[in-house]
Amino acid sequence: MERKDEKTSDYKTLIIRCPRLGGEVPFAYCEKEGGDLPCRMVVGCWEGIFLVENHLRETLSEEAWIRLNSQPPKDKLTNILDIVEKAKKRIK
Amino acid sequence: MQTKVVLEDYEIPKQWYNIQADLPKPMSPPLHPGTGKPVTAEDLAPIFPMNLIEQEVSQQRWIDIPGEVLDKYLLWRPSPLYRARNFEKLLDAPVKIYYKNEGVSPAGSHKPNTAIAQAYYNKAFGIKRLSTETGAGQWGSALAMACQMFGLECRVFMVKVSYEQKPYRRLMMNTWGANCFASPSNLTEAGRQVLAEHPDSPGSLGIAISEAVEDAVSHENSRYALGSVLNHVLLHQTIIGLEAQKQFEKIGEYPDVVIGCAGGGSNFAGIALPFVCDEIHGKQLRILAAEPALCPTMTRGPFAYDFGDLAKKTPLLPMHTLGHDYVPAPIHAGGLRYHGMAPIVSHLLNLGLIEAQAYNQLDTFDAGVKWARTEGFIPAPETTHAIAAVVAEARRAKEEGKERTILFNWSGHGLVDLAAYDAYLNGRLDAYEFSDDEMKRALKAIEGLPKP
Ligand SMILES: Cc1ncc(COP(=O)(O)O)c(C=O)c1O
Repeated sequence: MERKDEKTSDYKTLIIRCPRLGGEVPFAYCEKEGGDLPCRMVVGCWEGIFLVENHLRETLSEEAWIRLNSQPPKDKLTNILDIVEKAKKRIK
Repeated sequence: MQTKVVLEDYEIPKQWYNIQADLPKPMSPPLHPGTGKPVTAEDLAPIFPMNLIEQEVSQQRWIDIPGEVLDKYLLWRPSPLYRARNFEKLLDAPVKIYYKNEGVSPAGSHKPNTAIAQAYYNKAFGIKRLSTETGAGQWGSALAMACQMFGLECRVFMVKVSYEQKPYRRLMMNTWGANCFASPSNLTEAGRQVLAEHPDSPGSLGIAISEAVEDAVSHENSRYALGSVLNHVLLHQTIIGLEAQKQFEKIGEYPDVVIGCAGGGSNFAGIALPFVCDEIHGKQLRILAAEPALCPTMTRGPFAYDFGDLAKKTPLLPMHTLGHDYVPAPIHAGGLRYHGMAPIVSHLLNLGLIEAQAYNQLDTFDAGVKWARTEGFIPAPETTHAIAAVVAEARRAKEEGKERTILFNWSGHGLVDLAAYDAYLNGRLDAYEFSDDEMKRALKAIEGLPKP
């Protein structure tokens, strides 16, 4: 099967099953998952469906693209402790 | 002809198995992001009760299951071990296929095994309310049920995109008495900040975790619960594999291959860890984690292990080679495949005690639908990954002309996930095929790396 090569605006509504959430999500979700960044799994999940890398390179700033690709996966517990620290600061 | 192997209530295992006692090489401790030092009990105390923290770090091989937990387990445990004869017939391979049916729990998956235990330990520690995050709602519903059983208030932050798409999971949580909020919500500072900047944010697991953790740390007698990844979660799930061992003993069999699908690692670990114990003590068997891979490279062979970050601090990870040469590969690929994988599972992979394989969604749904049409039960989309791995093993057995006994964990039913089946059955799921050129590039990228 050939990859779809539609216009960017068509991608937003494409649906895929998110392996992290365990349910279906539109591409628009993956694009915003990390707040100002897409989900870090976005390329792997979507590259079989359309030219997602091209799309991201076009729509993200160079800095955002580099940040997206340089996030090391965090150990979950460390991640949670990080969140605890942030929560404590927020509710002070 | 026996189809089900059942244990009597009194035969339910009375202890969980803690693999930390048997690891040939101890795991390196997680480091606190602030101090860079190994995490201490005090670091964890704001989010987990001390009795669970003790389990998190315990090196004791066997840990007693409290009577109150066993009482609740008995509502659906011991879960039956089934022989999938109809599916075997369909596959026409020299394999016997057995599966533990964890879909018989009230919430429909393996998750109540730890939800019940966590609710019990929190209650015993004097906690009044638990909060958690949930994606599609499997974990949230298991915890909602468990909290109700132990008289705890339960608050679930559900990623908004799922909250809107999965009304039935949300209603299950409500029926069990939990409060379920679409995240980002305005109940926490974390949520309010996101909403201020992005009023139409679809949410994310990260935001939902931040909300659940903040909710726990900002209220008295409140704690956070997590359904996967942590050592104590995996410990509670080992009841699955321990029961399976007893059931195999009853029929005088033993598996050659043990399979589970792996998201965060808990259901896989649940069935696998007791068998890893056997492996460590000399038994010959293969233990296989089936991963979701929405690109088909792994099923077609070329994947290799690598470190998840350039500093080589993360465990060795099975790595997709797609795109290996257009982004900083190890980071990119490691993060893609194993985000949030349980440290114990990653460690076992690292030690070569287990293997990992990835299956694309067309293969998994194909296997899942075949399963439903032969064995009747409709598997959860996660579970279809394990079934796809079984199909691959059966095919291999046929090619090799070798008999094999396969055990896998049927981690849950798919009755609330029928939208995914709708998409599959109506041709709305895609799998992209690599071109030969791309395959060549992928193979070149893994030259010199160890093969899984
Ligand atoms: C039915 C089912 N099986 C397997 C999994 C994956 O579980 P884990 O993340 O604990 O590996 C999930 C997670 O939602 C699930 O719902």
